[in-house]
Amino acid sequence: MKKLILATAIAATAIAPAIIAQQRGQDPTGANAPNAPTSPAGAGGLTNGRGRGPQAPQGPAPKLADGRPDFSGVWQGGGPVGDLAQGIPKGEEIPLNDAGKKLMASRQSKDDPEANCLPTGVPRQAPYPWRIIQTQTHVFILFEGNIHSYRQIFADGRKHPDDPDPTWYGHSIAHYEGQTLVVDTIGFNDKFWFDFRGHPHSDKLHTIERYTRTNLGSLTVETTIDDPTYYTKPFTVKFTARLRPGEELMEYICQENEQDSKHIQGPAGTP
Amino acid sequence: MRALSAFASAVLLTAAVVPVAAHHSFAAEYDANKPVTLHGSVVRVDWTNPHARFYIEVKEADGSVAQWNLELASPNVLVRQGWTRNSLKIGDEITVSGSAAKDGSKMANARNVTLASGKRVFAGSPAGDPGAAPEAK
Repeated sequence: MKKLILATAIAATAIAPAIIAQQRGQDPTGANAPNAPTSPAGAGGLTNGRGRGPQAPQGPAPKLADGRPDFSGVWQGGGPVGDLAQGIPKGEEIPLNDAGKKLMASRQSKDDPEANCLPTGVPRQAPYPWRIIQTQTHVFILFEGNIHSYRQIFADGRKHPDDPDPTWYGHSIAHYEGQTLVVDTIGFNDKFWFDFRGHPHSDKLHTIERYTRTNLGSLTVETTIDDPTYYTKPFTVKFTARLRPGEELMEYICQENEQDSKHIQGPAGTP
Repeated sequence: MRALSAFASAVLLTAAVVPVAAHHSFAAEYDANKPVTLHGSVVRVDWTNPHARFYIEVKEADGSVAQWNLELASPNVLVRQGWTRNSLKIGDEITVSGSAAKDGSKMANARNVTLASGKRVFAGSPAGDPGAAPEAK
């Protein structure tokens, strides 16, 4: 498994510079500018998908030359870190069924895949920056943290395979609806957790993510989660990522010196 | 000085809020109600992910020397806050306060690290709190 993750990290690192270079010149944020100043304090890891730290820049959401929305840049947040329930409307509850509640109650923090340097899956985010790369045929999401990995999203009109092998990020296809990128994903494994609390899912999970850049500095990510194994009905979580102008991704190899998992105690539940 | 004290208070208040800018649940590993303050000499610095760490040798009451493992935020967080891999050096005499590991290991999450000169390093970055700025480099 470690070799697999390392290979993934190497692949992402290898892909990133070429694609980033390709996108230079169409990034209105300046996030790709060479020698861009690093951002001031606060640029490390946010505390949750809604985030703290420096304010996002203001201005209209940019578009690519062909009219599609331009999501390029380095972002932070946009998904649950500690608690998936932070993304649902106030007063509502995550519609766990009995099996979901039972599995969640049995989970121990030490078993959280993220604590063991495994991927976040979807829609969980690590408290580290990430970058979106759009091409005519693909969308890539490059993650700095936990783990130094990437998502490959097909935007060339293809369909899902009939019986995809289960994977951490699943099989993703995307299309644009106006200024929104819609990403449909199936083929997940059942291994990752949605948050530190241990919200579960099965390999029947189907997600639909809607990415909308509401202004220059804000990217709303609404994810509909459909998994009849552990939830009574589909539900949608909403998180907002913030642009980190001038920021670049840094190397983050979680397996390098992971010492925490053997000291972690108790049931999952507290961030 | 007043500003410095205010800043220190702010950091302490911030530290009371559970920091989650890590790859694991803070509360599952450290006990915020188990504060620890240690004095010792730095014998090792790991500028590594997922957390930077440093090790200090602390003289115990019985005269023996114990080694403590202190966890910081990730190097990525620390670098973005202006700290470097040279901010703390082997041989530095320091005082560190933080939260001890729940399992009783000689391990803690470092909240405040103060050099013998009085200079504080890694301020504002306990487990990666991104809200505060470093007061010194």
